[in-house]
Amino acid sequence: MPAALQFSSVSKRYDSGYEAIEGISFTMAPRRFVSIVGPSGCGKSTVLNLAAGLLTVSAGQVECFGEPLTGLNRRAAYLFQQDALLPWKSVLDNASLGLVLRGRPQDAAHDWLRRVGLEAFSARYPHELSGGMRKRVALAQCLAVQPDLLLMDEPFSALDIHTRLRMEQELLDWVSAAGTTVLFITHDLEEAIALSDEVLVLSAGPRSHLVGRYEIDLPRPRPLLDLKTEPRFAEMYRAIWHDLRGEVIRALGGDHTEGKSHG
Amino acid sequence: MELDSGGWIPSSSRDPRRWWRLGSVAGIAAGFVLGRSRLLGDIFGPYIQIANSLPRVVLAPIFLLWFGLGIWSKVALGVTVVFFIVFFNTLKGVREVNPVLLDNARMLGATERQLVRHVLLPSALAWIFSSLEISVGMSIIAAVVGEYLGSTQGIGYLIAQAEGVFDTTGVFAGMVFLAAFVLLVAALVGRVERRLLHWRPRPAESSSV
Ligand SMILES: Nc1ncnc2c1ncn2[C@@H]1O[C@H](COP(=O)(O)OP(=O)(O)O)[C@@H](O)[C@H]1O
Ligand SMILES: [Mg+2]
Repeated sequence: MPAALQFSSVSKRYDSGYEAIEGISFTMAPRRFVSIVGPSGCGKSTVLNLAAGLLTVSAGQVECFGEPLTGLNRRAAYLFQQDALLPWKSVLDNASLGLVLRGRPQDAAHDWLRRVGLEAFSARYPHELSGGMRKRVALAQCLAVQPDLLLMDEPFSALDIHTRLRMEQELLDWVSAAGTTVLFITHDLEEAIALSDEVLVLSAGPRSHLVGRYEIDLPRPRPLLDLKTEPRFAEMYRAIWHDLRGEVIRALGGDHTEGKSHG
Repeated sequence: MELDSGGWIPSSSRDPRRWWRLGSVAGIAAGFVLGRSRLLGDIFGPYIQIANSLPRVVLAPIFLLWFGLGIWSKVALGVTVVFFIVFFNTLKGVREVNPVLLDNARMLGATERQLVRHVLLPSALAWIFSSLEISVGMSIIAAVVGEYLGSTQGIGYLIAQAEGVFDTTGVFAGMVFLAAFVLLVAALVGRVERRLLHWRPRPAESSSV
C-alpha cells in the first residue's frame, strides 16, 4: 500500500529569496495521525501548504497516495488556521460548500453539522457564532467531502482550553472512525503528543529541517482528560522537549547557556 | 419656471436605469478581468488611471460635439462616470479579497468560475455597492451638467434658462428638485444593498463582538 503522504528531500525557497525549508523527508502511512511541532516561523505552514499543493516545491518531490503531486491536492482537505468560512453564506451553506462545488448531494453536510452539534445553527451566519463554533463548521466543511488526507494548521490555537479539549477529543473520535490520515500542525507539544501516532520536530528557520521523529506509543482510544497525568506522557514530553527546546531558543535568537528544563 | 411642459423630468433620465446598468455591468466586468489577471492589470492599469484622472465635466462639450444635443451625449457622460467608479471599486474588491477564503474554496474543489460566483463576486459586492450609491448620484449630476451645457430640455436646461433671465427662484427650484431626485435614487440603491448584503453584521453589533 502506498504512503498517504511522502516528502522526499523537499526544499522551499520563496520568491523573496527566503529559504524556508530544506531537505525535508518523511513518510506517512494511511490512517496515521502525524503532528509537526516547531518554533513559530520555522516553516510548519510552508510544509502543510506544500502537502496541499497550494505551494510548489523548489526541490524534491511530494507524493500523495503514490502519485506525485502536481497542482492542488485533490485528496486532501485543509483546515486553515485563520477563519475561512464565507461570511455571506449560512452555516449550512458553508458546511456544504465542498459538496456543492463538487456537484455532490448535500446530505453529508447536514450529517456533519449534527455531529459537530450545530444543527440548530444551520441558518445562522458565521459572524453570529463564537470562534469555537466557527471552527466546528470549518471542520464539518472539511469532513463532509470525505477526504483521504486531512491537513490541519494550528486549528485549535485560538480556542479556550475547555473548547479545545473537547474538540481535540471529538477530532480523534471522528478521524479514527472515518479512517482519515491527518497531518497536524501545532506549536503546542502537549497537544501534539496527546493526539498523534508520531511527532516530527522541525528546526528553527531559515533552511528548516527535521531534527527529530518520535513514535508516540500511548494506547488508543485516548481519554485526553486523564492522559496528561500519565507517567508515559510525561516521559515522552521530556524526551521531545529536549530537542524542541534548543530550536525554540535558536528561534528566539538567544543562547543555550542557562535555562531550566521544562516538563 | 414651467413645470407643466413635461420637460421638467430630466430628459436624460427617461430611463436612467438603462445607462446606469450598462455602465455598472461594464465596470464590474472590466474590474473582474483586470483584478484577476496580473498581466492585463499591468498592461491596462496606467491607461485607465489616465482616463480616470480626466475631470468628466470636461468631456461634456466633447460628447456634445460627438453625440449631439440630444439624449445620447448625456447617456455617454453618465455611463463614463458610472463605469469608472464601479470599475475601480470592483478592481479593489477583487484584489483585496481575503486570500484564505480563496485557498479554502480552491481546496474544496472550486473551479475559477465557481470562485467568481461563490467568493469573488460576493466579496466585491460590498465595495461595488458602496460605490453605486455615490456613482448613481454622480452620474445623474453628470447628465444634468450635460443638459446645462447644451440641450433643449431637461432639468439642467431649465436651470441654465432660469440663470439666463436671473430667475433665482427657478435655479433653486431646479437644484432642490435635483437633490431630492438623487437622494431618492440613492435610497433605493441603499435598500437593494441591505437586501443583498443582509449577511453582514450590523455596525453596532460588530463593534461589541
Ligand atoms: N509568501 C512568503 N514569502 C516569503 N517568505 C515567506 C512567505 N510565507 C512565509 N514566509 C516565511 O517563511 C518562514 C516560515 O513561515 P511559516 O511556514 O508560515 O511558519 P510557521 O507556520 O512555522 O509559523 C517565515 O519566516 C516566513 O516569514
Ligand atoms: Mg503557521
